[in-house]
Amino acid sequence: MTNHWIDIKNADVILVMGANPAENHPISMKWVMKAQERGAKLIVVDPRFTRTAAKADIYASMRSGTDIAFLGGMIKYILDNNLYFKEYAVNYTNAPFLVNPEFKGPGELDGIFSGYDPKTRKYDKKTWSYQMDEKGLPKKDPTLKDPNCVFQLLKKHYSRYTLNKASAITGTPKEKLIEVYKTYASTGKPNRVGTELYAMGWTQHTVGTQNIRAMAIIQLLLGNIGMAGGGVNALRGESNVQGSTDHGLLFHILPGYLPVPSATLVDLKTYIEKLTPKTKDPKSVNWWGNRGKYITSYLKTIYGDRATKDNDFGYAWLPKLDEGMNASWLMLFDQMFKGKIEGFFAWGQNPACSTSNAGKARKALSKLDWMVNVNLFDNETGSFWKGPEMKPSEVKTEVFQLPAASSVEKEGSITNSSRLAQWRYEAIEPMGQSKPDSEIMNELYFRVKKLYQKQGGKFPEPILNLTWNYGAKGPDGKIKTIDIHRAAKEINGYYLEDLFDKKVTPPKQLGKKGELCATFVHLQADGTTSCGNWIYCQSYTQKEGKVINMMARRKKTDPTGLGLFPEWAWAWPVNRRILYNRASVNLEGKPWDPKRAVIKWNPTKLTPDGKPGVWEGDVPDGPATPMADEKAGKYPFIMRADGMGAIFGPGLADGPFPEHYEPLECPIQENPMSKKHRINPTAKLFYSKEGGLPEDIFLSRDIRYPYVATTYRVTEHWQTGVLTRHQPWQLEMMPQQFVEISKELAEEKGIKSGDKVEVSSARGKVWAIAVVTNRFKPFRVMNSSVHQVGLPWCFGWQYPEDGSGGDSSNLLTPTIGDPNTMIPETKAFMVNIEKARG
Amino acid sequence: MTMARKALMISPELCIGCRGCQTACKEWNRLSVIKTRNTGTYENPPDLTPNLYNRIRFVEMPSETNLVRWLFVSQRCMHCDDAGCMKICPAPGALFKTKEGAVSFNKDKCIGCKLCVVGCPFNIPRYDDKDKVSKCHLCSDRIAEGLMPACAKTCPTGAIRYGDRDSLIDGAKKIGYEKVYGEKDLGGLGAIYVFKDAPKIYGIDEHPAIPETVVFWHKVLKPLAYLSLGGAVAVSLLHYVAFGPKKDEGGEEK
Amino acid sequence: MTEMVRKTNAFEIINHWVLAISFFILAISGYGFLFQLEEMNSIFGSFNQMRVIHNWVGVVFAASLFLTLFSYIVEALSVSADDIGWIIRGGGYFSKKAKVPPQGKLNTGQKLYYLVALLTGIAIAAFGFVIWLMPGVKKWILISHLVHNISFDLMVIAIPLHIYLATLANPGTFRIMVYGTVPLEWARKRHEKWLREMGKI
Repeated sequence: MTNHWIDIKNADVILVMGANPAENHPISMKWVMKAQERGAKLIVVDPRFTRTAAKADIYASMRSGTDIAFLGGMIKYILDNNLYFKEYAVNYTNAPFLVNPEFKGPGELDGIFSGYDPKTRKYDKKTWSYQMDEKGLPKKDPTLKDPNCVFQLLKKHYSRYTLNKASAITGTPKEKLIEVYKTYASTGKPNRVGTELYAMGWTQHTVGTQNIRAMAIIQLLLGNIGMAGGGVNALRGESNVQGSTDHGLLFHILPGYLPVPSATLVDLKTYIEKLTPKTKDPKSVNWWGNRGKYITSYLKTIYGDRATKDNDFGYAWLPKLDEGMNASWLMLFDQMFKGKIEGFFAWGQNPACSTSNAGKARKALSKLDWMVNVNLFDNETGSFWKGPEMKPSEVKTEVFQLPAASSVEKEGSITNSSRLAQWRYEAIEPMGQSKPDSEIMNELYFRVKKLYQKQGGKFPEPILNLTWNYGAKGPDGKIKTIDIHRAAKEINGYYLEDLFDKKVTPPKQLGKKGELCATFVHLQADGTTSCGNWIYCQSYTQKEGKVINMMARRKKTDPTGLGLFPEWAWAWPVNRRILYNRASVNLEGKPWDPKRAVIKWNPTKLTPDGKPGVWEGDVPDGPATPMADEKAGKYPFIMRADGMGAIFGPGLADGPFPEHYEPLECPIQENPMSKKHRINPTAKLFYSKEGGLPEDIFLSRDIRYPYVATTYRVTEHWQTGVLTRHQPWQLEMMPQQFVEISKELAEEKGIKSGDKVEVSSARGKVWAIAVVTNRFKPFRVMNSSVHQVGLPWCFGWQYPEDGSGGDSSNLLTPTIGDPNTMIPETKAFMVNIEKARG
Repeated sequence: MTMARKALMISPELCIGCRGCQTACKEWNRLSVIKTRNTGTYENPPDLTPNLYNRIRFVEMPSETNLVRWLFVSQRCMHCDDAGCMKICPAPGALFKTKEGAVSFNKDKCIGCKLCVVGCPFNIPRYDDKDKVSKCHLCSDRIAEGLMPACAKTCPTGAIRYGDRDSLIDGAKKIGYEKVYGEKDLGGLGAIYVFKDAPKIYGIDEHPAIPETVVFWHKVLKPLAYLSLGGAVAVSLLHYVAFGPKKDEGGEEK
Repeated sequence: MTEMVRKTNAFEIINHWVLAISFFILAISGYGFLFQLEEMNSIFGSFNQMRVIHNWVGVVFAASLFLTLFSYIVEALSVSADDIGWIIRGGGYFSKKAKVPPQGKLNTGQKLYYLVALLTGIAIAAFGFVIWLMPGVKKWILISHLVHNISFDLMVIAIPLHIYLATLANPGTFRIMVYGTVPLEWARKRHEKWLREMGKI
């Protein structure tokens, strides 16, 4: 989230698209309704009338996978009717930047941007660049009239997204589109704010990243980023998924969003040189310019005293990716299926149900030599070998089950979507033989280390040199129990030497050797500081020698009245509650909307060092004076090299502007936007005419699978349902796999509500109970009627034991992902539905 | 010492159908489950059970302005001031009012006659496998300790609020609800609702009333039972005084 | 020696006592239910036990009531002009001088009382069984509850009068329920027609 949960209450218009907060984030609806109480409008755009839609002021139905057509129409509407916030767009976004005149868009190149190579399915992004002036800064046209400026290119690109086109693609009636556009675009005024809430409904598409990009463009045009009640807000589907992503969950990022090095970045110097963004603009903060400090402090954390200047701080011991290697989920399972992976830890997950194309995943598990399933309960993954269509005697995989403690059985921090790290305490002791994850890792670490010490083996350094100081050691050298506070402190980081500010005379002492770091501003690239995750620096800190766990704070004061609650727990970075908040003020530092001032510049108030001028309110994106200050003023988007919000986004794999492409499987023959490219031209195909695994088959516009399908969660179950299916109260409410279908489709197929039906795709089939409802309606797409159905994915064959729950709807979903993130496209695919026999 | 009457204020407009209340209730009251199946709706279990005190009904209605209207309505004991169940109950202490105004029950005192079932205008009481009454008791154990009922505590959106009855009603009127369902009915309900539309749209009886026969019984037959007996005895006595026993003339009975 | 005539046999005496005692148990527990009289716990132990007793004693009562049919129904249904005379004269209870027409084995008042007792007894028993055996069936229970209670109200009028008339109001009557016999002379004055039928006079 750019903003935070409570901040939803400050919005004037809330657009829920690609999310279903009432069902999947029920607590958030408290703030949605607080906003509605104030008169805010809730817009819900969803293929299905959800429990969130039940609370909406405006509901628009939209065929799955057509968000960009929907939002593209909105961008056109905003531009055509001059509803954008010009002062914001000109000063805070790259709208005035002049782009390379050779850049061409899909309107000119029939569906693709300039630089596409059909063989590699990749773009050469040479033309997606800016025109530079003699100082090396991008050329700008503040009048936004230059035909090559981002603003004009945007206008040209979305001129193709007419109301008729948008309606024909999405199936949303034109009047509804206008109603939504008009309402949302009303937030383009300085005193009106709109927020967007999204989740997997946007990410799980072959155009997932671009869905979000489209909204980011709208929010920048309307001046809604950085504002209280604004932003583009990802509702994370798990209480600590923000925390785990921050701490390096994904294959390509180290903690703190530092890129995982590739093999070609041979040493730390090259890594820093290649991966540190540069700018020649003195007004750009370019915070990522500090990358060298963060990676060095990280290396000092994980390798401790073993990391020295002479050995490149142990950079060589970091795991490396091969150049261009993708180790994302779909690829992992593809490799596993092909027998290339020996062992697998399924830790706190249930891929046999959660993986798109779960049938393939289940087969892949049988190709392993061993698997360790760490979970609270046995699940479809741990028991895959005795699952449907498996012959236990033929499965070679040896499965180990390790019982894990639940979240209430251990102490530690969790970070929610608000980037808020909150400390939690152990409520009860772990049951039976279960152990907290950290204890399981501790065991694992010492046993693996011992093996390396005894037997040597290939490349033992990363393990042997790892610091592991999380508690008192027993006689065998093993840490007896993990002190989780030590881990939290390690993440925060330490001053390894006394630190002085040498810019002032006499040098002022900033940090004392051995103490916890106060802020990431103090981190150094010379090995004199350690920090396990730079964005968490300050979370567990020391003030005047006193150690303070900032995440354990519980003070309920709200000085701004905006619900920031700055002394409740701690938010990264540096307790900033609303990101890019410098965009919420004008060039002079005055809030666009004084009634909802996130920050404001007080030119007369003195800083602690006695200089006039301080920011009041939230922790600003840097203490620099407002942008109008020619000398010291800074741009608001500090994480971007050019300091500007990106309407033109050349960093993505599939184009600098979002373009509508149909899902891998769709009900129409060709993409109404461009005949040549039906699907995202940069999405990696696992299956094509040239070949591929039969497991990865897809059938688009095939009469055997005529209905659009989507998957979702329900309030009553969580993820694949492992926790909630074992919870009788939850199962009582939502006992069985179901499929929601419209009354019209039910009539066509002779299906009655409550009937058992079979839903099948090119890849698999599941049975489900038909829930015939008016909450699904056929769409009018390109002049024909298209039916859509939807299924939850929270059921699995393993529990309830009598099989009455059904099996995962991911047996139906395809193997394809977004080209930027490789998140699978489970939200739009094609199925058939028939009344079950017997 | 009198205590301000407590109540639950239920606002279906704020309810998102998450059913946290349904689970919280079961958790606090340690209630077991039944084996359910999906019958073509989210609503489950299909009815209140002795182990389901509070249930969210999912009501799909046609809408003029939208694709459909989907309402979520909590079904539970209304904690009537003039409670039909208590009125008809023959066993002292089986159903009782707490000082907060909750209609609570004591299974040890319940005699399993199920008269409360027919006395209730809302069809709420259920009987467990030991034939004892079972229903929402406003978490009388929690509220006695100054805590909120589990459902209200859990509700994320304020669709179920707990507090002083009067201030809940005032609050609802302040935010524009002209009518509060249950403000006056049955002596005033302890679970009051605010509706945007007619209660019947939400599947709730517009004018809930204790069955007339029960009222008649309570108002007339019950007092008559004493009066009749007393009357009969009095008439006999009067007669004896006025006329004395019938004596045979001659009195040769000796 | 006073000459005695047998008015009731042993069966009738026993059955009447069964009926009377069961009625008392039912009535007392009935009041207990009606007014939630916790004092009843000292008699019945608990309301749960009281309910069991009430139900099963109800069975006894119903059976006993049924058996009375054999004893009284034929007589109770026989009507003659004398019955009208009896009613007109108020059964002789409101004047020392009033002379009532000769009566059969049961006088008009007794016959009427029996019919009232029989009908209310049937109603209270039958609907009592509904309350017992069809719990929760709203329509039936509501009617049953009503009728059971109306019958009860009638019974608590009729029974005390019956007791008064059979004891204080008519000395010598009570012994019928103990010995079954009455003096011939006593009977002649009260049940002349009956004695005539039997040829005793």
